[in-house]
Amino acid sequence: MTAIAIEFDSLVKQFGKQRAVDKLTAKVSSGRITGFLGPNGAGKSTTLRCLVGLSAPTEGSAKILGAAYKDLANPLTRVGTVLDSRGFHPSLTGKQNLKVVAAAAGISDSRVDEVLAMVELTDASGKKVKNYSLGMKQRLALAGAILGDPEILILDEPANGLDPAGIAWLRNFLRNLAHGGRTILVSSHQLAEMQNTVDDVLIINKGALIAQGTIEEVTQGSTLEEAFLKLTGGQLS
Amino acid sequence: MNLIKSEWRKLVYARANWGLLIAATLISVLSVVVTPFILSSQGEMFGLSLESTAAVDSVYANGISGYIFAIILGILLMAGEFRHGTAVATFLTSPKRGAVVANKLAIAAIAGILLMWISTGISMIAGWVALSTFEEAGSPSDNLLINTFIAATIGGAVLGIIGVAIGTLVRNQMMAIVGSLIYLFVIDPLLLALLPDAGKWLPSGLITAMLSLDINAPELGFDTSSYLPAFAAALVLLGFGVVFAALAITTSLRRDVE
Repeated sequence: MTAIAIEFDSLVKQFGKQRAVDKLTAKVSSGRITGFLGPNGAGKSTTLRCLVGLSAPTEGSAKILGAAYKDLANPLTRVGTVLDSRGFHPSLTGKQNLKVVAAAAGISDSRVDEVLAMVELTDASGKKVKNYSLGMKQRLALAGAILGDPEILILDEPANGLDPAGIAWLRNFLRNLAHGGRTILVSSHQLAEMQNTVDDVLIINKGALIAQGTIEEVTQGSTLEEAFLKLTGGQLS
Repeated sequence: MNLIKSEWRKLVYARANWGLLIAATLISVLSVVVTPFILSSQGEMFGLSLESTAAVDSVYANGISGYIFAIILGILLMAGEFRHGTAVATFLTSPKRGAVVANKLAIAAIAGILLMWISTGISMIAGWVALSTFEEAGSPSDNLLINTFIAATIGGAVLGIIGVAIGTLVRNQMMAIVGSLIYLFVIDPLLLALLPDAGKWLPSGLITAMLSLDINAPELGFDTSSYLPAFAAALVLLGFGVVFAALAITTSLRRDVE
């Protein structure tokens, strides 16, 4: 039986009258890459924010490795997260930004140099983040996510704003991480890209789960885009 | 210790924080250096002759003017996290928010103290140099130095803490800074001048009270006889620090991080 890395149990997140996540129940298996798909505003980012403790669920729960994120000891060494390309102080260099995070997690500064090399930012590590391109910020965010060498990665739209070369780089980077046996939960609009990258798929629409399974089970011989359009009623944005 | 180290790095890496230290020092030095010239030419009009101990004390008392920057430093440390989105990385690394804010409060207190020690210390030296050019200048009161040191220390720590609390409550950094400046520059002095019974319980009145000055200059809207005793003022100011620290921690626990 496959171990469960991430589990949503009747997760609800309500903002005033709007229900962003609606009784979401789903599981993400260990050691696999899972695509988390849905139209714009479907509740993907809100779900991921509830998962990592930045938003409090209105009802239900979201657990990683059997526990709420906030209850994980030194979570950066268990779970790496990229939520958006913001999150870095623009006046600090890329290296300084990572050293701030490393210090909080008790991670050595030499590891900062290692991850900067892994995302090919060594030469730009002394530049202020405000001078980084969007692609460089995305790579810096990925460097931050792997700083603690975690077994689980949660990536929210990591390909957003990347040019084709950046997307190709990201694909190889994720594949290399997956080969190490990591669990990766990645949300994306790049459906063709997802088809070539993910093992499993979770699709949500209007906050509710509408499909879950291996990519073969969900697509049933069609492309992921065709299956997605059919399941979401053609609301592909 | 990890969180303190991380917060310390945030403090020293950001150039804006060094800018605040420089600004606090310049403002304090300017306030101290200009005052003897004003008192020398117009002190009699205010009932403060430069020969008097009260006048010399009032010169050195301006050395604590940098406390306004301690509150801005605290605001930048907290509201800056929301402005730049670094709060996400901070709370992902340390999801126990109470611990994060507690460490941020500690760093803000340390930073406020350091800012006040440096700006006050340099302005006291500048004041001594400025006063030495006036032959008629008297001597300061015996306890001025120690009182100023205590006021700078407690004032810097508490205002740094209040800044973090404001940054937690008002996440818009600019609004938090502008609101605090309006309060400290306009509302606090007005209350001190017009309603001294209320103003003496507020930060500016409390910090000034810790200096134990004995100055009565109604033309300047300044009469220290209505202020709290120094020890009581220190306790009330520390009380402000405790209340604002509790407010910062409880607020940060409840709200979602965007």
